[in-house]
Amino acid sequence: MLAALVALAGLFVALYLTLYKLGYIGTLACSVGSCEAVQTSKWATFLGVPVGAWGVAYYVGVLVVALAGLSPSMSERIGISHLLVVMTGVGLLFSLWLTYLELFVIHAICQWCVISALLATTLFVVSWLDLRDVENLLEQLAEEAGESLRG
Amino acid sequence: MANKSQRPHVGQRPSVVTSAKRGGPGPKFWVALGLIVVVGIGALSWQASKPKNVASRVDPTLPALKAEGHVMGSPTAKLEVIEFADFECPGCGQFATLTEPDIRTRLVNTGLIRMRYMDFPLSMHKNTWDASFAAGCAGEQGKFWEMHDQIFANQDKWNGEATSSPQKPLAELAGTLGIDMTKYKACVDAESPKAAIQATLAEAEKRGVNQTPTFIIGGQMVPGAVPFDTFKKLVDAELAKTAAGDSAKPADAPTDAKKSATPTPVTKSQ
Repeated sequence: MLAALVALAGLFVALYLTLYKLGYIGTLACSVGSCEAVQTSKWATFLGVPVGAWGVAYYVGVLVVALAGLSPSMSERIGISHLLVVMTGVGLLFSLWLTYLELFVIHAICQWCVISALLATTLFVVSWLDLRDVENLLEQLAEEAGESLRG
Repeated sequence: MANKSQRPHVGQRPSVVTSAKRGGPGPKFWVALGLIVVVGIGALSWQASKPKNVASRVDPTLPALKAEGHVMGSPTAKLEVIEFADFECPGCGQFATLTEPDIRTRLVNTGLIRMRYMDFPLSMHKNTWDASFAAGCAGEQGKFWEMHDQIFANQDKWNGEATSSPQKPLAELAGTLGIDMTKYKACVDAESPKAAIQATLAEAEKRGVNQTPTFIIGGQMVPGAVPFDTFKKLVDAELAKTAAGDSAKPADAPTDAKKSATPTPVTKSQ
């Protein structure tokens, strides 16, 4: 549930960064400021696509899966929880790589990129906690079912 | 029961478990989701609707330009547009390759305006000084603008992301201009244009220029790689003011016009 909210917020951040990179928001210019340094560096695109656009795709994916996870069926829920952990794990690693580039290669920090990285971290933590909960719940249900059978 | 005590967190977060059991989130969740959508779309459209290139008035009390830069266009043109640019800046590259050709054919060659290029190498760009030297040294042989175009069109061959020794690719670009390469190399090695570039840099700082490209169009200072239409509108507005005999003329334009009209060298008009 929380994952869906965080993913939606992240989607808007990534959308903003993409529109900025494509020139629809603000002006493409080089500035003494750091955001421009990050956004105009060669690491602002990945496989020919702006990094922000990858973020948009990522957050949309997490949002869709998280919303699907709201469905009541437990058998679906465990699969979805696993998927979310894998997805957000990849997102976290990619964010870590980007933050590493900002800090140690580009030597400039883009605040909205940092916010996105924090959201990606939150998503991973939330998804991981959710997976643990679902697993525990399943075990608990299995135990109760066993007890009731015995009884 | 022993199993349960090993997993105390089962009881600690009942909300996730119970909501999953009950089959979905409550209305609060959808309200929160809706709020994020509204706030997100609102913030994005607010950002998008903000004017992209905000022109500001140039302080009329500023002294005239001391540095010369490089000029293209007629000394008798009615208006001079000053560009502060960094050769390694992608925004400047975009302006030079996409917008400037139109400006040259429609505004410079028709005698309406004259462009003055002022180097503003930013410290974040590793190779930009080398590019400024290369352009300045080609300029010594009367080919500044040709080198300017080559440098911008081929940013990816010599910029800080492509190489850590830009002199070679820059010399290759200079080689296409048909200039005396021995002279060029001597000039680059001696960093001859350094003082002139430092002077234009000082002018930029005096005017509070903090990004590239930045244009001074008459009394207006406009940041960013403006598209042709915006550029033309600003030029037209300034020309209309001049035509109306505006007495409060901007500080830069008239003195510069005088300067360019004098036969003193520095600049290569074409």
